Amino acid sequence: MDFLLQGLLKAFELLTTIDPETFSAVYATLVVSAYSLAVTLALGLPLGFCLGYFEFTFKKQVRVVVDTLLSLPTVFIGLVVYAFFTNRGPLGEWGLLFTLSGIAVGLTILALPIVVALGATAVESMDRQLRVTLISLGANRQQLFLSTLWESRHGIIAAALTAYGRVMTEVGIAMMVGGNIKWQTRTITTAIALETNKGEFAMGIALGLVLLMIAFGVNVSVSFLRKRY
Amino acid sequence: MRGLTHVYRGKPVLSIDRLDLPRGGIIGVIGPNGSGKSTFLRLAGFVERPTAGEVLFDGKPAAPFAPEVRNRVTLLPQEPFLMKRTVLNNVAYGLRIRKASDHLAERVDKALSYVGLDGKDFAQRPSYALSGGEAQRVALAARLVLKPEVLLMDEPTASIDALSAQLIKDAVLKARRDWGTTLIVASHDWQWLYGICDTVFHLLKGRFLGTGRENILFGPWERVENGQWGKRLADGQQLLVPKPPEALAAAVIENVTIMPQAEPVSGAAGQVTLSGLITRLALEKASGSIVVSVLVANLPFTATLTEHQVRNHELYPGRMVAIRYNLNSVKWV
Repeated sequence: MDFLLQGLLKAFELLTTIDPETFSAVYATLVVSAYSLAVTLALGLPLGFCLGYFEFTFKKQVRVVVDTLLSLPTVFIGLVVYAFFTNRGPLGEWGLLFTLSGIAVGLTILALPIVVALGATAVESMDRQLRVTLISLGANRQQLFLSTLWESRHGIIAAALTAYGRVMTEVGIAMMVGGNIKWQTRTITTAIALETNKGEFAMGIALGLVLLMIAFGVNVSVSFLRKRY
Repeated sequence: MRGLTHVYRGKPVLSIDRLDLPRGGIIGVIGPNGSGKSTFLRLAGFVERPTAGEVLFDGKPAAPFAPEVRNRVTLLPQEPFLMKRTVLNNVAYGLRIRKASDHLAERVDKALSYVGLDGKDFAQRPSYALSGGEAQRVALAARLVLKPEVLLMDEPTASIDALSAQLIKDAVLKARRDWGTTLIVASHDWQWLYGICDTVFHLLKGRFLGTGRENILFGPWERVENGQWGKRLADGQQLLVPKPPEALAAAVIENVTIMPQAEPVSGAAGQVTLSGLITRLALEKASGSIVVSVLVANLPFTATLTEHQVRNHELYPGRMVAIRYNLNSVKWV
């Protein structure tokens, strides 16, 4: 247990002295998660809403495919993205391998099915009487759409938070596509994996604490917004 | 409604050849669970489109979202449903989407007062903090604030407390008085419906039968004595009917008469006489007649009498009487 305690103490020291290597990993994590989440929400929320809201042919089949994609192994996504971005791959000339952008692409592929599936569930679980109520109060089609979106906001926020949590804590894609390059593509999670392998528990614990603090901050903000709206 | 048919999951749930509902009236719709009342109200309220046929408003075909009905016809569903907002924002929703937000707080307050709620106390309450009765009253206030030309209500007093039920009844009658709102109400509370409605329709298995005074008895039917068809009742009496088209067909019995004798007196051939207990007397507003409810074993029967007849026969709740009907007046649905 001593080494854990020493690790904890060292972790506080790294954080309070703003250790450059530690904060480089934090910066990389924030950048890739921000980019991937922005794209995921921009694409995934409308797709998820449409999947839950509209009736169309093959809707059930599309739902099965989306739900299946929720179980995609992260190392498989990493492998496929690596294969596409490597020099011999179809998108090799984009130069995205071993870059933060490349990691963001992989994380987007991971997070998109989460937002689509959970967003669709949030809309589908809306009370059927909402539609009757909105139409009977005089809503036109556009107002019906926007009001339904607003009423399902809590479920949609939960979908976004779930995706965010997944993206922040992912290791496989970041390792395979990013290469865990110090000062460049080393994220919190890949750094924890590396430092633990080296026996350097202090930095691993420090990074883990940072991860927790970020997650806590995000959840507190969302909780505040939920109460207000 | 003209040539209207509505199908749900491959099963026809409503079939109306022709139905005209007069403007400014109070129309009641009565029927057992599953008879199609809610479907009828959703179609008449332009919330859903029928599978076939058309619904007209002011003589012109209309459909959901059509501007000519969207701001004039409103439906209060059976289950009270409010959006995840405060009471004020729920009641004001219809005004806001019509861009009629002037004097919003005052209008919301007034609408809440129609249903017996104090705006100062309730306006800022979140919808989840309301009881079932309060929620239904707020839902009604959200419709009344729009001063609709037509207000349809699906079991507005079901599953709520007696005070809320009375406040809702008073509020809708006020709407009719003050704005000439046409009311169409589906309810099991036939005593209330007969008391306020100009017309009452009976809906069974998706079809309108008549004026709501019919007695409807459900199968299964069986062979009783002398090879006749009917039911053996819990008190030993036998309810007789003509041969049913199928075991579970519903029998519609009209023109039931009531006699003050406690013991049933045999009638002529083809007549069925049964003994029962008067449970209720209700005034039918439209005709001034008295609707008398009689419980025969565990089956309810109703008959319509004049005030003179009720007085002469000294009919009152709790009195044993005999009811009689003709076998050839039994129709099958």
